[in-house]
Formats: sequence, structure tokens, C-alpha cells
Amino acid sequence: MTDVSLASPPRADGKRGSDSHARRTGPGWYVKIVLMAAVNALGLYGVWTAVVVGSWGVAVFLALAVAAADWVYFSRRMLPAKYLYPGLVLLLAFQLFVMLYTAYVAFTNYGDGHNSTKADAVAAISAQNERRVEGSETFPLTVVERDGELGFAILRDGEVAVGDATAPLAPASGSDDGTQVTGVDGWTTLEFAELISRSAEITELRVPFSDDPAAGGLRTQDGSLGFVAAPVLVYDAAADTFTNTNTGVTYTPNDHGSFVSADGDQLTPGWRVGVGLENFTAIFTEDRLAGPFLQVLVWTFVFAGLSVITTFALGLFLAMVFNDPRVKGRKIYRSLLILPYAFPAFLATLVWRGMLNEKFGWVNEVLLGGAQIPWLTDPWLAKVSVLAVNLWLGFPYMFLVTTGALQSLPGDVLESARVDGASRWRAIRSITLPLLMVSTAPLLISAFAFNFNNFALIYMLTGGGPHFEGAPVLVGHTDILISMVYSVAFDSGVKQYGLASAVSLLIFVIVGLISWLGFRRTRTLEEL
Amino acid sequence: MSVLTKAAPRESAPREDRYTIRHDAGPRGVRWWAEVGWRHVVGIVMVVICVVPLLYVISASLNPSGTFTGSNRLFGEVGWNNYAELFESRYWRWFLNSFVVAVTSAAGTVLMGGAAAYAFSRFRFSGRRGALTTLLLVQMFPQMLAVVAIFLVLLTIGDVIPILGTNSTLALIAVYLGGALGVNTFLMYGFFNTVPREIDEAAKIDGASHAQIFWTIILRLVSPILAVVGLLSFIATFGEFIIAKTVLQSPDRLTLAVGLYQWASDERNAPWGLFSAGAVLAAIPVVVLFLLLQKYIVGGLTAGSVKG
Amino acid sequence: MRRSILTAATAVTATLALAACSGGEEPAAEESAAPELEGSLTVWVDETRIDIFTELAEEYSAERGIDMEVVQKASGDIRQEFVQQVPTGKGPDIVVGAHDWTGEFVTNGVVQPIELGDKASGFSDVSLAAFTYDGAVYGVPYAVENIALVRNDDLVSDTPDTFDDLVAQNDDTGADYPVIIQQGDEGDAYHLYPLQTSFGAPVFEQNADGSYSPDLALGGDAGDAFADYLGKLGDEGVLDPAIDGEKAKQLFLDGKTPYMVTGPWYASEFTGAGMNISVLPVPSAGGEPAEPFVGVQGAFVSAKSENALVANDFVTNFLGSTDVQLRLAEAGGRAPASIEAAGQVDDAIMQQFSDAAGSAPMPSIPEMGSVWQFWGVTEVELIQGKAKDPAKAWNTMVGNIQDAIAG
Repeated sequence: MTDVSLASPPRADGKRGSDSHARRTGPGWYVKIVLMAAVNALGLYGVWTAVVVGSWGVAVFLALAVAAADWVYFSRRMLPAKYLYPGLVLLLAFQLFVMLYTAYVAFTNYGDGHNSTKADAVAAISAQNERRVEGSETFPLTVVERDGELGFAILRDGEVAVGDATAPLAPASGSDDGTQVTGVDGWTTLEFAELISRSAEITELRVPFSDDPAAGGLRTQDGSLGFVAAPVLVYDAAADTFTNTNTGVTYTPNDHGSFVSADGDQLTPGWRVGVGLENFTAIFTEDRLAGPFLQVLVWTFVFAGLSVITTFALGLFLAMVFNDPRVKGRKIYRSLLILPYAFPAFLATLVWRGMLNEKFGWVNEVLLGGAQIPWLTDPWLAKVSVLAVNLWLGFPYMFLVTTGALQSLPGDVLESARVDGASRWRAIRSITLPLLMVSTAPLLISAFAFNFNNFALIYMLTGGGPHFEGAPVLVGHTDILISMVYSVAFDSGVKQYGLASAVSLLIFVIVGLISWLGFRRTRTLEEL
Repeated sequence: MSVLTKAAPRESAPREDRYTIRHDAGPRGVRWWAEVGWRHVVGIVMVVICVVPLLYVISASLNPSGTFTGSNRLFGEVGWNNYAELFESRYWRWFLNSFVVAVTSAAGTVLMGGAAAYAFSRFRFSGRRGALTTLLLVQMFPQMLAVVAIFLVLLTIGDVIPILGTNSTLALIAVYLGGALGVNTFLMYGFFNTVPREIDEAAKIDGASHAQIFWTIILRLVSPILAVVGLLSFIATFGEFIIAKTVLQSPDRLTLAVGLYQWASDERNAPWGLFSAGAVLAAIPVVVLFLLLQKYIVGGLTAGSVKG
Repeated sequence: MRRSILTAATAVTATLALAACSGGEEPAAEESAAPELEGSLTVWVDETRIDIFTELAEEYSAERGIDMEVVQKASGDIRQEFVQQVPTGKGPDIVVGAHDWTGEFVTNGVVQPIELGDKASGFSDVSLAAFTYDGAVYGVPYAVENIALVRNDDLVSDTPDTFDDLVAQNDDTGADYPVIIQQGDEGDAYHLYPLQTSFGAPVFEQNADGSYSPDLALGGDAGDAFADYLGKLGDEGVLDPAIDGEKAKQLFLDGKTPYMVTGPWYASEFTGAGMNISVLPVPSAGGEPAEPFVGVQGAFVSAKSENALVANDFVTNFLGSTDVQLRLAEAGGRAPASIEAAGQVDDAIMQQFSDAAGSAPMPSIPEMGSVWQFWGVTEVELIQGKAKDPAKAWNTMVGNIQDAIAG
């Protein structure tokens, strides 16, 4: 999109002289100058702040965006870009980043257990494995300060003892109230308010409990309770290993973002690393995914296709029914038909779930007089129900679209077909429909793509169920690809964002390809 | 190629007049049933189908103690306390937030989408077809990680420009506008094409710049589709909660959809009555807007891309 | 945990929520941007406790002179958003929630151990065991909840000792349902768990300190017997997947059944509707005591809190205090985790719920996720009679869980 330029010079370029608005000094020109000044000022301010903060990505993006804006709006060419620019900038900033990010994650092992960076993992492992020395006492603790250095003071065996990061706890003279030290000679006692501003320093401070390093260090988490802790796992930054101080076992990092011992014992958490194509190969090789894949794929196509066809057919039918001016109250009908579209879809789905309940649902209990039809629990009926509810949710949109489209059909075409004696149905099929398809095909293809990924409906209405009995992965008869991904990659207990991203990329390729072919077939793009 | 002499008829369609000629065939005869009456039957049946599930919501909203889908006894108890309680909650604050976000986003979408559609419709440039296709394909990307990615973007931006970071209404609007192009552009594009180029040409000869043509001539001629896109965008953003609940954090900044979602997410003791009352009231702006815009919608949607 | 209808609304995108900062990027830049964070504490709570925590935070703020920000997150999202936002450095200092998040939080390195010192002995054993993972405590408990048998005293006044007799009792009572245990289309293993334990088939082996080992214990003969029993209850129509939580509550409110197995969350609605209820332990079906899962609510401290000192002070010294525990109990309708506070509670129903609790916290180990997935669905199949051979279906499930855990 960056190479947008006036290639084939139509009228705009042909009359460049008189066309250049840049020379005009009407109100529009002033507006433009003011706007551009604002854009430049804000943009440059943003670049400056970004540089100060060290956020290079933002700096580069803003700089490019401002430069592009100036280029586009002060150039006499670039007419289309002048109109596309605002939308495209935001599109790039958000939509495109979503795609890139997903693509990036697809090549990593991001997920539960590999949630962050290696530095975070090392910090977490260290923190989780520093334990209170078994059988040791806890002490009411006082935080003290000398020359800016922090120290801890406790009553050890009734005597005041103080120490800091380098000097082990040693007896000192000071005062106490029987349980806690209230002052140490040569040290200042810190109040709680003062602790807050040095929170990190205090929680990281370890005062050696005695000259023997193995005795552990006195520490505090809340500034008032002191306890003696010793690390069970020690990180050696130079060697990049963890060593267990009790057993001597060493853990080294592997290429999947975990510290492992020689006998395969693994420390958690791990960290996020690139794993190449592993997520993609897993889709096709892992039994749990590959097994139901085909069946789910077929249903996904059927579901998306039928959803579009049924909503379109009903929408079109209703649009035609109410396109007759002799029908009194058309406005009322139309307004009421739009209601399913005006209520939040998740709310409506919830209601339908209740209404289709096998025993107590309104449909069975009231409408069918106590029948017990397993609308959502029989494999075939569940499919029908999913389609029916989606029809209810989706037809108003199609109704709107086709109502609009019908208005614009040239009346004389239809009329002449009538006069020719073509039956009503034939007239619809051979004249109205083809004309409608030209205008609605792109929307239908979008609708297909939307339904292909209509996770919310499936998840909320049936949860993918009824499930394949005894299958090794919790996938059901109404699961579509995207809900299967969810079930396998997230609901199984351990979340695997990498795998999920890989599958969503795959889905995108499938949907994109179909849509692209669809566009070509309907020739909507050819006619541009 | 199409050179229409006149934009497609939108209001007072001449086709409708032709039907009125046959209108004298007796009000309730067999013929009336065959031609018109059945349409009312269809209409009534469809309206019932549309309304019944919503009765649950309305019933729950009026039920002081009841459940949401637990009982089929609709309107067993009727009281207004749920609505009264809304006034004690943050509901109206959220309502206002939603309204601001939805109106701003709708306006932005209309302007940006309209500008893009104008570019695609009136200029010929390399990569134009590719760009149009790309816009549509981008919309089809599965949004599984969208929230994650958007949050990261906002975190990064927020470090530089705090008012565009997380917990900002403005940032939320920006995110929504990121999706302004796409299907909307396509919808408008089709309509723009039906506005005859001769109008542009004439204006150009009179010395109008492309900007003047866009702002003063084209936008006025395509106002129906602007209304439609505005409505669709309003509905979409008014009901959107997945992105909004991640971006917004302070209780006072939430949008209505997020607030309602949070009420409903209590697995065990969700205040369904309050929630339903909130949902019923939330549907009102949408319906009112639709009623106001209906005459445009009936004439507007996709009308354009049909080339007689 | 269980899949609720509304976690659904979260949809994929939502559930994914937020991620760590990308790749190799270190969060150094972010820290410098937020100097105002100094001396303020952010607490995430869900919609069920926002009011009481807002109130408590104000008090703590006044007492300690620190700014408190209480952020409301939807209960369906809070856990996942926490896991994903902490690594970005923008997560909260404290998150309030359920103990069964512990395993996930620890394996993702997003929480830090909390040393309670002598205060530990002030909490009930089960509540501490719940927050213990791999030998360290990661959360300060404040409330304990469990399901039990709730009886409508207006319909029956004495309750038999075994579940079979309980069902049979209805031959005299003549209510529509002898007892209600909510299910739903995807089952509800949580509400069936007391029956399962009464057959001696707990889900995992329990360690000496009350925490769980990842060795499945729900199979074997005991599991088979329970599977058969479920099939029988389904046959007799005692259990019905059509009855979900909402429906179950309504049926009990309407007096269609003398008993319901449920928790304190509905009890307040029952008493509020003017019903006379008693809460009893679930009668045994398989001979051993029927122990429900105990759920414990508490507060975690983020591994990346920039104010860990105050965060720890808030959770251990403030939330852990008897007075605050009592107020939380009153607001939430759950028994306090503090032994002293529990002794001061003056609420018969809360007390009866506590009495019905066992010593088995809901497992918080990550392996539990794999169990939930298959568990309820298989139970529904058994209840519906879809599985010809219940024991075989149960063993298939155990095998599937084992495979899922093994990855």
C-alpha cells in the first residue's frame, strides 16, 4: 500500500494545474494548514518523548507516519493517498500488528510455563526456592538505616542485634520494648511511611544470620516480620545454571526454554523461546489434533456455508415480502425484525440455550407441550439448533442488506420480465437474484469468513457438544475449527498460545484463499 | 462500464407506484390474500419469532428476584426495582461512556471509510485492486490474539503518550477506528460508484478541487450509505466488550457493554434482573437510531454497487 | 475451573487476554516511565467482592498513608489476565481470588511465596493447605466455602444417613425430585464430588501436608463403582443433565424438592426468599464419608510488584487480621479462614456449611485442568446412559486424562 500513486493518469492528473488545491487559499486551505501543523507538532513531540523514554519502535513508527503525512498532503500528486492515509495509519498500528504478533507467537512456545522472559524465569525460580530455614525462629523486625545503608535489627535471645547486607547480625546497644527493637545506637529507625519508598531495597536485603553463610540470611517481606531464609536453588549467572544446595544437582537451560537436570527433571517456570515450525508440525502429527481434524473441518465448511445461505435466503425473502408498498405497517414490521440485531448477541445466545433445554426449555415445555427433544444434546439436532440460532441472530443483517439492494434494482427490468409472462419465481431466480448477487457477494463472502470463525456462538450455545464419546480430546459434533483450537490449546488445562496461533494462521490461509477465490469468481473485483 | 445517468432511486421509488394500479382488487378478497394478506401472516410469524426470546430478557428485567432462564413463567412477578436500582449503580455513567465512544467511532468510521471509498472509486492508481482485496482479507484474520496484541501496542504507546495508553477512552476509539476500513469501505465503495462521474467532471470544470468535490458534493449525494455505515458502526461499538474490557480498567471509564458483561460474569449470583434491565435500556438507543435512519437504510445499503 | 456459561462470552480473544512483552525485549523501558507508582498499590478483584474491597482499601489507605487502587475485573477473566499482564510489568500488586489458581500462577512465575511466620497457625489447616504449592504458601486465605446438602425444612425434617435412603425417602414425601444436584449439558463434577469421594475415589492422591500429588486416584474399583452408581442415578432420574444451576435453584425455591446439593452462594437467596433451611453433610453413597471440595478465597502477591513490602503488609497483616476476616465473611457469606474469626462467627448456616466441609481443598495443581475437561462430560454420558458399560467409559476417561497430563 505504500506505493500508492497515480499510475494511470485519469482526469485528476490531467488537469493538474487547475486541480491543485494547495494553491487555493479558501477556508479549506487554512483548515488543512492548521491540521497539518497540529499533526506535525504532536507527531514530533511524540517522537521526542519516545526517544527520551527509549521506545524506539514508537519513535520510528511516528517519524515515518509524520513524514508520510507531510509527503502525502503537501505533494500535489498522491491524491488517493490523501484519502486513504488516516484509515491506513490506524489499520497499520492495530490490525496489522495483531497479524504480525500472532505470526510471531506461532513460532514460539509461548503458553503456560513459558510465559515470560528468561530473566523473569530466573527471578521466579530463585524467589520460589528461597525457603525459610527449617525449624528457624521468626522475629519482630525493625528496619534501620546508617549512612544510607539499610540494616535489620531484631531481638536475639533478648539482646539487640543488628546487621546489614555485608555485616552479619551482631549484638549492639539499643533499646527495645520487650518484643521488638525500638532503637539502635548509631542507626536511625525507619517508620512505615519511610519503608514504602525503599520497598524494593528492603525486600531484597538479606542480613547474614551469622558468620556461617550456610545459616542463611535474615529477611523480611512486610517490613515487620523477620525470618531466616536460605536458597535451595542457587543461580550461577556465569555458568547460567541452577544448583540445588541440598542435593548438588545442576540444572542447565535447554533449547525449549527450561532449566533441566541431567536426569530430565525440569524447573518451572520456563521462558519463551522460538521453536521454529514445531507448532505447525504438531497440528498434523499430534494424534489428539489430527484425529477429529477432518470431521471438524467438514462441519466448519457446512456450518459457515449453510449459515450464509440460510440467513441470506430468509433475509432476502423477508425483504421481498415487505418490499410491496401495499403492505400496511411495513415500517413497524421492519423495525421489529431488526430487534435480534439490536440486542447483544451473547445475551440472546444465552437465552436460546435456556429455551432449547431438553426438559425445561420453553421450546419443549411450552411450545411443544412437554416434548423432550434433545435439541442441544443429540449430534444431528445440535447441528440443526446451532444453525437455527445463528439464523435468528444473522438474518436481520441480511434483511437490511437485501432490502437496500432491492430498492436499487432497476424497476423496469423486473417489470419487463413480468410482462413477458415469466413466472414470479423465474423472475426472481433469473433476474433479481443475479443482480442482487453482484452487490451482495462481497458481503456474503465476509459473512462466510465471519461464520467460519464464529467461536462465540458455538462455545456459548453447545460448547462444541455433544462430545465425541471417549475421544482423547474434548471435541464435539458442533465444534468448528476455531472452537476445537480453543478446546485443545486452552481448555485442556495447559494453555498453548504458540499452537493456537499456528492454527489460527492456518485458518486464515484457508479462509483467505476461499474468499479470494470467491471474489474472483463473483468478478466483483474484476469490475473495479 | 457503467455510466448511470441518475443515481439509483432511493426514496419514492417509481416501481412502487406501478403496484398501486392493481390496488383496487377489493380489500379482503382471495386476491388480497394471495397478493398481500400472506405477507402480513409472514410478518406476524417472524415478529413473534424475533420477540419471544427477548421476552425472557424483559421478563427477567421486571422480576424483582427471579432467574434468567430458570423459569418459563414469564412475567410472573412484575416490579420496577431493577430499573430503580440501575440509578444507584454506575449504569448511567457507563451509558454515557458508551454513547461517547460509539458516536465518535461511528463518525470517524464514516469519515475515514468514506474517504477511502472515494479514493477507490474516483482515482485509478497502481495496487488499487490489491489494496481493496487486502482490506477485506485483513478483516478475516482470526482475532484469537487480537486482545493480547492490542494491549501490547497500547502499553508501548502509553509509555510515550499516556492519553493513548491503556485505560483511555481515546485509545479505545483509536483501536475501533483501526477497523474502520474493510467491509465498510466496500459497502461505501459500491455506493460511490453509482454517483455519476459526470457530476465530478462538471464540478471540476467549474474549478472545484477534489477536496471540495468530496466534501461538498459527493458526501452529500451518498448520505444514505453514510447513515447506514454509521448505524452499523454504532451498533458494533455499542455492543463491543472484548477489546473494551481489556483497554479500560477504572470502573468509571467502562463502557456499558463491559459493565453489563461484568455483572453477568458472576458464575453463581449474577444480578440477572439488574443485568436484564440494563440490556433492555441499552437496546433503546439502537432501536431509536434505526427508526430515525430507516428511510436511509431502506434506500441505502448496497444500493450502490448494483450497476443497472 | 469449570466452564461457566459466561466464561464463554469471553470468547477466544478474551480468554487469551494479555501477553508478556514480546521476545527479548526487557521491561527496563517501562519501569522508568512510571515513577508515580511509588507508594501506590493496585489490587484486582472480581465483581463479587468489589464493594467490600473498595471499602477495606480505603481504610488501609487511611491507616498506612498509601494510595490504593482497586480494579474490578470480570471473574471469568481475572485469572488469565493476571498471568498475562504480570510479565509486562503493568499487572497489579495483588490479586484476590480462589486458591485453585495457585498452581497456574506458580508454574508461570507470576506470584511470590508469602511467609506467614507464626500467623500460619492462626489459619485453618485446609485453608493453608489450599494455598500451599510445592512446600511454600503463595496466598493469604480469608474465606472457605464448600457445598453441602441443603434441606427445605418445610418439606422434611429428618434426613437419612445414606444417599440411597435419601432418595427413597421421597417415596413418602412425594416431591417432584428426591434431591437436586445441578448438572448442565457439560456436567458438573464439582457438585458430584461428594458422592464420588464417598466411594473412596478422590481425584488425586493427597500429600501429608494436604497438597496434592499429580497421581490420579479416581480410577480403580472405587471409580468403577461410582461410575455404575452414576448410571443408576441417571436411570432413576435422580440426576438430570437438563437441570443446570439456574434451574436447580429455581426448583428448590419453588419447593419441588426437599434437598439440594449446593453452596453458600444460593443459601442467602433461599433465606432471603423466606425459606426455612438447614445445611447438612452430604449423605454417603458408597460407604465412606462424602467430602466436597473445599474452595478457599485469598490474596496473592505479584512476583513483579514494585511495592512488595506494602503488598505483603496488606495481605498478611491487614487481610489476615481477625477483624477484617470477620467483615469479609459477613460480606461474602463464607466462613472465615482465620480460626479465631471463625470462632466468632454468629451465623448458623455458615457454621453448618463449615461442619460439612472435609479436609480436601480443590486441587490447584496444573494437572487439574486436564481433569475438569473430561470429567464432567463423562459423568453426563454415564447419567444419560449413553455409555453401555459405565466402568469402561470411566476407565477410558481416566486414560484420556492421563494422556492429557502427559501432554
